[in-house]
Amino acid sequence: MLWREAYAVGVPLIDSQHKELFNRVEVFMQTLRSSVSWEEKVYRVNETLDFMKGYVVEHFQDEETFQKRIEYPGYQRHKAIHDSMVSYVLEVSEQYEKSGYNEQLMQQFAGKLMAWLINHVAVEDKRIAAYVTEKGVTLDD
Amino acid sequence: MIDFHASLFEAAQNVMSLMFGIDHVSKSSTENFMAGTEIDISVGVVGDYEGELIYRFPEEVSLKMVNTMSGMEVESVDDFVTSAISETANIISGNVLTILADNGNVKCDILPPVLQLPADKPYSIHESCSVTSEIGNIYLGIRLNTAI
Repeated sequence: MLWREAYAVGVPLIDSQHKELFNRVEVFMQTLRSSVSWEEKVYRVNETLDFMKGYVVEHFQDEETFQKRIEYPGYQRHKAIHDSMVSYVLEVSEQYEKSGYNEQLMQQFAGKLMAWLINHVAVEDKRIAAYVTEKGVTLDD
Repeated sequence: MIDFHASLFEAAQNVMSLMFGIDHVSKSSTENFMAGTEIDISVGVVGDYEGELIYRFPEEVSLKMVNTMSGMEVESVDDFVTSAISETANIISGNVLTILADNGNVKCDILPPVLQLPADKPYSIHESCSVTSEIGNIYLGIRLNTAI
């Protein structure tokens, strides 16, 4: 399983979205890494890729809205990190479509995304939780 | 005095703990690093210093790292594995530069990881270590010259 409780940051809203995001990335990876031929799975890979991409953008936006609401001082830096990853995802998606759905591109994308996501949640998002705790921020959600 | 060697090890420790849940990490001489089949990665450094950060991940260690991250059983090194390990090297490199900036006021940036080691040339700073944990040994090196 991709999600681990060690990745929880202690803010219920963020943790529930992270679990959903990790679930979608996992489904994408499992589809991509299944043993059937590329021709047999490419349609399902593309479906899970779109489903996952949509949620990446949605989650980043929700997280940034939350950070602004709690006046998180690291908001600008965090948003820049999100924007950079969204640009990468869009760039890879464009290359992938132009290549006629090249499998190697997707395998490389999945590997990088997985490592990036784990580090981002374990390091950057935990800083938000530390701020919430330190400042005694009241969470309405 | 900037301790590049300590920065390398501290960065590796941070990443091993946060990303892989491995808290018991030690360093040893690179003489303990057994060369075999590895994923070799270099990450260029530019700014106050110029050069590279060097990584050598044995294939067996790489697979353990990817299996830990993914929760899957990946049995051989392929594009997915090399990409995940490259990104891990990228993350360690970012950590190294953050530590150097915080402790030594060093201002540098990293370039995208490359899946090969560059040709050797003279460097004024040349540090390396073998980082040992329950998953095996990883070679880390830093080779820099002061930017002109």
